[in-house]
Amino acid sequence: MSHSQPIAGDFLSLLAEHRLEPAASAASSGAPVQTQATTVFGFHYAEGVLMAGDRRATAGNVIVTDRVEKIIEIDPTSVLAIAGVPATAFEMARVLQTSFEYYRRSQLQPLSLPARVRALARLLRDNLPMTMQGIGIVVPLFAGVDHAVIPPEPRIYFYDPLGAQFQAVGYAASGSGSGTIRSILSFQERYGQPRPSQMGLRDAVRFASRLLSTASEFDSATGGINPATETYATIKVLKASGVETITDAQQKEFLHD
Amino acid sequence: MTEEPYRWLEAVANRREYVHEQLKSGTPVLAASLPEGILLLGVGGGQSKVFELFDRHALAGLGHPADIEKIRQAAIDAAHVEAFTRAPEDVSLRRLVSFGLGPQLKTHFEQIFSAPFLVEMVLAELGPEPGRDLFFRLHFDGSYRTQFGGAVVAASQAEAEAAAQKWLGEMVKTKPGRTEAADLLLQAWWRLSENKSFTEGLPDEAARQAGWREAVKGKEIEIGWLARQASRPARYQAQTAAELGL
Repeated sequence: MSHSQPIAGDFLSLLAEHRLEPAASAASSGAPVQTQATTVFGFHYAEGVLMAGDRRATAGNVIVTDRVEKIIEIDPTSVLAIAGVPATAFEMARVLQTSFEYYRRSQLQPLSLPARVRALARLLRDNLPMTMQGIGIVVPLFAGVDHAVIPPEPRIYFYDPLGAQFQAVGYAASGSGSGTIRSILSFQERYGQPRPSQMGLRDAVRFASRLLSTASEFDSATGGINPATETYATIKVLKASGVETITDAQQKEFLHD
Repeated sequence: MTEEPYRWLEAVANRREYVHEQLKSGTPVLAASLPEGILLLGVGGGQSKVFELFDRHALAGLGHPADIEKIRQAAIDAAHVEAFTRAPEDVSLRRLVSFGLGPQLKTHFEQIFSAPFLVEMVLAELGPEPGRDLFFRLHFDGSYRTQFGGAVVAASQAEAEAAAQKWLGEMVKTKPGRTEAADLLLQAWWRLSENKSFTEGLPDEAARQAGWREAVKGKEIEIGWLARQASRPARYQAQTAAELGL
């Protein structure tokens, strides 16, 4: 990450020039119990991509909060879903938000989808020392609109902790509750009627909420949905036209339809 | 030469004359604070004049494209580093110009063995209400003037610029809509480009509109809009004359 001259439009090299390195890490033998954030997933529905996550963060057996926003709009055509250590993940989100906007403004064109996908992979690789120590691990999902095809199409990517990136055909999930969610998504995509990719917005939101509720029954670190306490999922949909947030009020309405 | 102070003064005066001469052919850029946002406008023959800087910040400039580009990049770099190390809300035009661009331009202008920047610009910061919209009129030598609300013009001739700004400041109060304000800015642009007075022999509105329409043929009207109400942090939109119905 150290460059004698900043690369045009590259925010990380601009930060390095100012001796500001967001992913700088140091070894530690006595790490505290880490806060973890789970569970996130994304799937293709009829109008685009839906990304959802519960709102619980835990540290060991302690529930830190049930109000975490794990689905983060990076720019009008990109969404990041974070699973892992929020301290690192939120910093990655902030770096990406600033990097994408910096590139768009300075180079007078938006960053391509492959470059946006790789930018996150680069941050994960920079986080490798923390990952290898077992602290600061982040396993995110990323969704972005590909403007290189006509008409533009939203796509989902998932990563391994070392930064390898994979495109998801129908869906992807990450975090401690992801096993349950992947199983249901796989079943629904193969045998369900309608399949997730055929669902309209209301059905897709309702399905996403039920996925989280089911995951929370098997995984204590997944928060689930609780209308009694007005606890809903964080849900964003990504269409060719951009990102839209599905508010708590909308989720409440859709769930009671 | 620089060992003798009067020679340095003479050299600086010569540079000022040189810059003014170089900027003579530049066409003006204009900005106005409106109830719904800030409008910036320039007319170019292929080179860009209006740019987004940060979430609530934009600039419009005339001069050498390479110099405009250098200043634009410096402002964007500074704004994004500031936003990252503190918060986007901490990016302020006052700090960008007072502690960044202004001193750099002054230093560059007074280093008489290097080429001076050939630029005149307007920088805008969107406020929560029109009265708190902030404009900086930044000159090639690093000097600047601030103004809250109203209209601001950057042109190569100081007297004509002041006259245009006075006229526009009054007129824009009566035309708060985006399209009609853009039309007004184009009228002012036309009078400035033609080097004509804003007080004597000012034709009626229809003639002014016909004037700018004729003058922009074969050129590109660039419009930047900083929207006061928006769902996203980035408020800037590049617009075309056709989108505004001009």
